[in-house]
Amino acid sequence: MSTLGSRLLRTTIIGKDTPIHKLDPRTKFLYFFWISLLGYIFYDFVLTFIFLVVNLLLAVVGKVVRRILLTILVIIVPWIAIAAPILSLPLGFPWNETIIYRINLFGMELPVYQEGLGWAITWPLRIAVTISAALLFMLTTKLGEIIALFFKLRLPFRALYMIAAALQFIPLLADEVGTIYQAQLSRGLKTKASIVRRVFNFLALGIPLTLSAISKVQIRAIALESRGFSAPVEKTLMYELRFKSVDYVFFAAIIFFTGVLAYIYITMGYSPIVRLRYLFG
Amino acid sequence: MAQRKVVPTGAKILAVVMVPMVAALNYVGGVLVELTKAPIWGDTWATILGTLISGFWVGAVGGFLYNIIMALTVWGLPAWVWGTANVLIAIITWFFIKMGWTDLKKPITIVMAVIFYGLLYPIYTTGLSIALFGGGPLWKPIPAAIYAATLASTGNFWLANYVQAISTEIPDKVISFVIALIIASRVPRRFVLGMRREEEVVAGGS
Amino acid sequence: MGEDSVVIRFENFSYSYPDTPNVLVDINLKVEKGEALGIIGPNGAGKSTLCKAMNGLVPHFYGGYINGRVIVAGMDTLEHTVAELSTKVGLVFQEPENQLSGLALTVEEEVGFGLAMLGYPREEIKDRVREALEKVGLSGLEERSPFELSGGQQQRLAIATVLAMKPEIIVLDEPVSLLDPIGKREVFEAVKELKKTGSTLVIAEHEIEELAYIADRVIALNEGRIVMEGEVDQVLADVEGLRKITVEAPSVAQLTHILRERAGLEVNHYPIRLEEAVKLYEEVLRK
Ligand SMILES: Nc1ncnc2c1ncn2[C@@H]1O[C@H](COP(=O)(O)OP(=O)(O)OP(=O)(O)O)[C@@H](O)[C@H]1O
Ligand SMILES: [Mg+2]
Repeated sequence: MSTLGSRLLRTTIIGKDTPIHKLDPRTKFLYFFWISLLGYIFYDFVLTFIFLVVNLLLAVVGKVVRRILLTILVIIVPWIAIAAPILSLPLGFPWNETIIYRINLFGMELPVYQEGLGWAITWPLRIAVTISAALLFMLTTKLGEIIALFFKLRLPFRALYMIAAALQFIPLLADEVGTIYQAQLSRGLKTKASIVRRVFNFLALGIPLTLSAISKVQIRAIALESRGFSAPVEKTLMYELRFKSVDYVFFAAIIFFTGVLAYIYITMGYSPIVRLRYLFG
Repeated sequence: MAQRKVVPTGAKILAVVMVPMVAALNYVGGVLVELTKAPIWGDTWATILGTLISGFWVGAVGGFLYNIIMALTVWGLPAWVWGTANVLIAIITWFFIKMGWTDLKKPITIVMAVIFYGLLYPIYTTGLSIALFGGGPLWKPIPAAIYAATLASTGNFWLANYVQAISTEIPDKVISFVIALIIASRVPRRFVLGMRREEEVVAGGS
Repeated sequence: MGEDSVVIRFENFSYSYPDTPNVLVDINLKVEKGEALGIIGPNGAGKSTLCKAMNGLVPHFYGGYINGRVIVAGMDTLEHTVAELSTKVGLVFQEPENQLSGLALTVEEEVGFGLAMLGYPREEIKDRVREALEKVGLSGLEERSPFELSGGQQQRLAIATVLAMKPEIIVLDEPVSLLDPIGKREVFEAVKELKKTGSTLVIAEHEIEELAYIADRVIALNEGRIVMEGEVDQVLADVEGLRKITVEAPSVAQLTHILRERAGLEVNHYPIRLEEAVKLYEEVLRK
């Protein structure tokens, strides 16, 4: 059994050798944070689209663009397809005011509003920026680097353990679901069934999964305890992090563009290109 | 020599390991839903289950962690805020334990589940989804139609978002809650005891 | 041997889990330095519990009720935490995958995990890891993910994680019961290597034939009590005694027992290992 999620987590461990992979995880995390924040600061779909393109270009360099593009298309396209027609027509969005266009639908002439359409395009793009930023980080950073990153960020060790263990349990459990599913299928579990039946099917998989998960927890806890996990001392991290010259180039770029964008924000506001009005802002 | 009682230290580390397990169970809940086509999202049942068998903190932190993982891996940074919604689920579940609304044979359990998980909880998530994702119709046809219909008849954006939310949350959360109760009742007492010594054992039906 | 060569001592030790009473009853036991002690007994006899009492998991992790005391490497387990005892006693469990730390991404980090938890400097960890991996025959796999290893390799990895802590005692609780035949052989070979280097070993095991090659002394548990105790050749040859607690003696011992009962074979001591049996029957046939 292998879903998008578990495949994603597995392949993060395999390192490729691109400039993006070589970046220090701290640099990449900063970028991830920075660009996600920018996506939310500006309310301007052209600018947001530019952020998205930058993420995708970096993804091209990091050789992970196909996965990211696929994920974004699956999430964003249906969203815009449903939201844009509803929001941009009268009654679809309470703040609609400015008519930018009129379309003819079944013989009726309908106005298209800027407020609704802007909203319906900007929001999915914003989300596309944050999703592509997250995927860019995760797909180009090894789990060991992520652990080291959080260690350097002074996250409490227990919290660090929880994050790492969750990332590690997910593929383990996904495999287990596959095994349980096959076993239940051979015992006559039917996938085409009524709603109630489907809830029972969920239980037929969920109960053995939970029981096995809980016994894993017991054993894991005992093993950790036996190996000094609870010792009240500062832990040693096996993984070393070091900034390289690419990192400094990247930092410089981030600082430079922060300056440029701050200037744009101050002089032209949050919607410098499309000139949208923010609605509850 | 006299017999001595020893206080267990294991609960703490069990909780440390159970938290990521709750997060992981929420995550693979999506896989279970994919396979069984059960009418839920599959991403809160483990929060409820974790609270039932390991107590409030494990459920809350595990649910929160699930959203952190999702924010880092797929959904993007702002999605971490959904973690607070999962904490709210754990709070509601904990409250249900305290009130004794965990027996599936009593109608009050379902009535309260509809009220708390189905009607009150979406007030919070509606606010969040508007602030974070702009609100508006979901990218699923039926909720989107409900949104459009409510907005057309009332003209209230917030209300339209809320009605859309409860149309998905009532079935999702109530069924997830029932599923979690049934699974919790199947967990051997020893494990439940090991983690929630301080509280009464929850067992929906056993 | 003098008293200071005793590394594990149970004194009138009894233990009850919070919800299961009398899992161990009145245990008196000494393990000498460099000795290999085998623990046998039917399912539920308390073997795992006894193993866990050696590194403080029992009673600390589970809680419960105890009588008497357990002294390990001079430390009373009741007065020390499991973390403190972790450098004295290393425990290897049944399940290969679940006893991995989950935090380590490579074999190297996994082996170093325990030392890292205790805050050892990185250089020392690396040295010790290399040494430990050599001892179990996993050198060269440092950079692999622990989850990519076979069951037998994972179990040897678990032994290496324990060795890296340089404990005075290594306790193995049915280390091969979940492995395939190849994995079993790999692990037993590793355990035999440990024995050669003079480590103190305690091993709970259902594979009684293999135990015959590893243990110097054996105790049999039944319902939480020690019911048999002695040299390996004596305990494992006691076919009748073992049968009473539903444990099967090595097949060569059983065969000899049957031949003596039914065919009047004259032997004064049953063999427990194949080689001894071969020797015995060569003599018998020659006669
Ligand atoms: N965590 C626990 N809490 C309560 N009772 C337990 C616990 N673990 C084991 N027991 C009980 O203690 C008794 C001894 O169990 P133990 O696991 O030590 O036996 P064992 O000899 O190792 O058995 P096996 O051969 O199956 O491994 C059993 O009755 C078991 O049910
Ligand atoms: Mg056992």
